[in-house]
Amino acid sequence: MPQDNKPKDDRITTPHVLVIIPAFNEQKSIADVLLKLRAAAPAFDRLVVNDGSYDQTAQVVQALGEKQLRLAANLGYGAALQTGMKYALQQSYEIVVCLDADGQHRPEDVPAVVQALLDKDADMVIGSRYCDGRPYNAPIDRRIGQLFFSHLTRLLVGQRIYDTSSGFKALRSATCKNLIRMTFVDFHVEMIVRLVMLGEKIIEYPIVVYERSAGHSMYSFASIFSYPLKTLVLTLVTAIDVLLARRSQ
Amino acid sequence: MTTQGVILIDLMALGFLLLILNLVRKHDLVIGYALLWMVSVIGLMALVTFTPLQDFATKAVGAVYPASALSLLAFVFIFIVLIYFSVQLSVMSSRQIELIQAIAILELKLQEKANLTQEKARTPDSAQY
Repeated sequence: MPQDNKPKDDRITTPHVLVIIPAFNEQKSIADVLLKLRAAAPAFDRLVVNDGSYDQTAQVVQALGEKQLRLAANLGYGAALQTGMKYALQQSYEIVVCLDADGQHRPEDVPAVVQALLDKDADMVIGSRYCDGRPYNAPIDRRIGQLFFSHLTRLLVGQRIYDTSSGFKALRSATCKNLIRMTFVDFHVEMIVRLVMLGEKIIEYPIVVYERSAGHSMYSFASIFSYPLKTLVLTLVTAIDVLLARRSQ
Repeated sequence: MTTQGVILIDLMALGFLLLILNLVRKHDLVIGYALLWMVSVIGLMALVTFTPLQDFATKAVGAVYPASALSLLAFVFIFIVLIYFSVQLSVMSSRQIELIQAIAILELKLQEKANLTQEKARTPDSAQY
């Protein structure tokens, strides 16, 4: 149910916005993210999707009086986001924002990203580290992956997305409907390819991303090898799936 | 294959059949899976016991020795069964995810409803003062 906070920015008061924050063992950073978000976007509702955390994340969120969906088991980033999206659709939110719980994203950027979605009449805005000619400042293994998947989007859908792995996104609820039943790894390239092929308008908005201040990344050493392979296979399967659906229509 | 070998394999297969039936009886194995294994075991018994069937299978797969044909068929069978069970696991995993998601959403909605009821209950009291 949308909260009754007074909006800070009049231009973005009309739509009901839900900020989804998937969290897995983020007790050290979640409070900071939520407090900054409260201050930056008081008109927006906040929802923490507690993805089976076994630390104090749930207690921290509860102490702050924030809404949280408690998943009984760790389902992974994609399924946690999907849960939030399902809730948003059931509660008739119009816009959904996805924000990481590890403090890497600036909650202060949330209103601007939502505004970009409305101004550009886009279906999804990706908070991007690399658009506007900014360099890929990442370790070599990640940089290779980011460049590869960025070019893959151009190859498959004719639109280059510079930051395919960003967890900071704003999307319309109609767009969420295309995503809640799909089996995704992390809502990255495979989602972008699917949405663009379905005719959705995706744009990038420049944001600042900090290094993780606490907790552990969801990517293990093994995922250096498994993530690109899984993402590549899923992206290709998604593209084929959309093409086949088009042909059958 | 020697008679001793045929008898040994048939006895082992009978043991498997009894094991499967017992698992079904104890509700530890769904009848659908039990049928799959029973048909497989009976097929294996037939292939091992009847020589003409063995020769036919050997020729059909282009093998020289019956043992090679049996190994190939066993490999194909295991491969298919493993894929089948991977699919079953994936389906169950998807259902489990959907259930966990639904439970989490329901819990939050219930909590929101309870909070709303509490607020409503408080409002008339405060209005009196």
